[in-house]
Amino acid sequence: MIQDQPLAETVRVYVWEWPVRVCHWLIAGSIAVMAVTGLYIANPGPITTGLASQRSLMGLVKLIHYSTAIVFGIAVISRIWWMFAGNNYARWDKFVPASTKRWKALGPTLGYYLFRLRKPPGFVGHNPLAGLAYTIVFAVYLIMLGTGLAMYSVSAHVGSPLRWFTFLVPWFGGLSTARWLHHGFMWMLIGFAVHHVYSAVLMSQVEANATVESIFSGYKFVPREDLVYSGYRFIDRKDTRG
Amino acid sequence: MSDRENWFIDELERRGVSRREFLGFCTVMTSALALPAALSARVAKAIQGAEKPVLVWLEFQDCCGNTESFLRAARPTVADIVLDTLSVDYHETIMAAAGTQAEEALRTVVGDKKGQYLVVVEGSIPTFESGAYCTIGGRAAIDIAREVCGGAAATIAMGTCAAYGGLPAAAPNPTGALSVRDAVPGIKNLVNLPACPANAENITALLVHYLTFKYWPPLDEFGRPLFAYGQLIHDNCERRAHYDAGQYVEAWGDEGHRTGYCLYKMGCKGPVTFQNCPRVRWNEGTNWPIGCGHPCVGCAEPDFWDKMTPFYNHLQGPPFLGPGYTVDRVGVAATAGIAAAFATHGLISYIKRSREKPEPAPATPQSTDAKKGDAV
Repeated sequence: MIQDQPLAETVRVYVWEWPVRVCHWLIAGSIAVMAVTGLYIANPGPITTGLASQRSLMGLVKLIHYSTAIVFGIAVISRIWWMFAGNNYARWDKFVPASTKRWKALGPTLGYYLFRLRKPPGFVGHNPLAGLAYTIVFAVYLIMLGTGLAMYSVSAHVGSPLRWFTFLVPWFGGLSTARWLHHGFMWMLIGFAVHHVYSAVLMSQVEANATVESIFSGYKFVPREDLVYSGYRFIDRKDTRG
Repeated sequence: MSDRENWFIDELERRGVSRREFLGFCTVMTSALALPAALSARVAKAIQGAEKPVLVWLEFQDCCGNTESFLRAARPTVADIVLDTLSVDYHETIMAAAGTQAEEALRTVVGDKKGQYLVVVEGSIPTFESGAYCTIGGRAAIDIAREVCGGAAATIAMGTCAAYGGLPAAAPNPTGALSVRDAVPGIKNLVNLPACPANAENITALLVHYLTFKYWPPLDEFGRPLFAYGQLIHDNCERRAHYDAGQYVEAWGDEGHRTGYCLYKMGCKGPVTFQNCPRVRWNEGTNWPIGCGHPCVGCAEPDFWDKMTPFYNHLQGPPFLGPGYTVDRVGVAATAGIAAAFATHGLISYIKRSREKPEPAPATPQSTDAKKGDAV
């Protein structure tokens, strides 16, 4: 359980398994690519000159956007699957604040952000507020995939299985509204990215548990007493693999 | 040859339309309906020999635009004769009868030809104030629509107002305007033919299909015939090559506009609108909006006044803010706001923690602070 002890009271815990880390970076990278290409598609900047038949700038950008969307979709679905297949920290109940304990800790965590508490309630994996934020973000991912598939489906070639997704178009209030939602939620994800990086750095500093490093290595360094304080009655071999 | 067919050939001659021209028209209609070319003979026979179905044309909250579109053909065509194969017994705008005489004509059709006549509805149907916003001969539009459409063999909701509510139903919908489908519950054999106005070619093709087969062509989930509304304007647009190439009109009258570049950045709704405008065009195939340099406004889509505006911007504005705000402007401002808020938060956190340092260490060695400090 205790891998190495730079300090006697710090426990090295294997929090993020490799599928979590790989999905994280695939999602982060694909969002970056799709935000840049998406902004071009919405407001194409440089005008190409010459014969239209010999240029395909928009065509190329769209191809990159669609191809990246496949990576993004697979990563999001894999991560959702891992919410049920992965370790304790990857589970769905670390996202949705379903337990009383996590529900009650939402307030104090927010209190910490608003400087009302000096220290956030200790949680080894996602804190309840972060988990709730990621729940919303995953819902946004599904909206982005849904609106994207709806817009793609109407122009999908004859015989393409993606044509099946035309049923999504009325769900999102028609193509025009789907396009508007797709664009608006992109900005929400960009805003989230700013918050996410800042909070990771802040928590890494305050909790001194290598939060930022953990998304590369998988390990967090957790004060032993935090494990008790947070109500984790035990950390068994299953949760601390490696 | 039946009397009916004789009448038809005489009628063609009288109007100076050759039989060759008529057969050409039948072929065009067959292809417009995406039917096999071999069926054009059947189409010709059906048009020549059809029993005269009675047609009633109702106008409610409308601008008469569909009637105008329909009647103002640049030159008399064979299509007119197809219309003449219908017995238009009631049409508020063009009928000679007026007052009780006109109402009598409608009553006769509804009473004597129940389940046999066709109805074309133009305009939306108001429901607020017991339908007082639109009455004809003292009766509310909704009562007329329910009675006439309820007893019809089939109904065509022509134009966006009849098909989806259109302009009268746009927010805040002061008259409680409804489409025909919503105003007449349980309506049978309804076809929606949206667009503002609906294309005369499409209603002609639709009627030809009905005369030939006695049923409507395949419809989509909005009740629109697939032959006319099956594909995006964008996917059949003559300027599509410029879209894919990345060549756009940036301002009215700029070089790109004069060259015929894509109108996407000028707010063209072609990518979100289903219609066959690029193929059939308007005014006898003369031209169509995008062809003459104006972006599509998406008039054939549900709620287009609410969802396709602003017409010269391809995204709607953000909610609750006035005109002049775009989603991008709000997005950039929000992102900058979030960044500023967290920068401030970081600064306050840093100051607070650096102030805590001189404080004496808490008594118990198990204190979290002590540990935190060590771990850093």
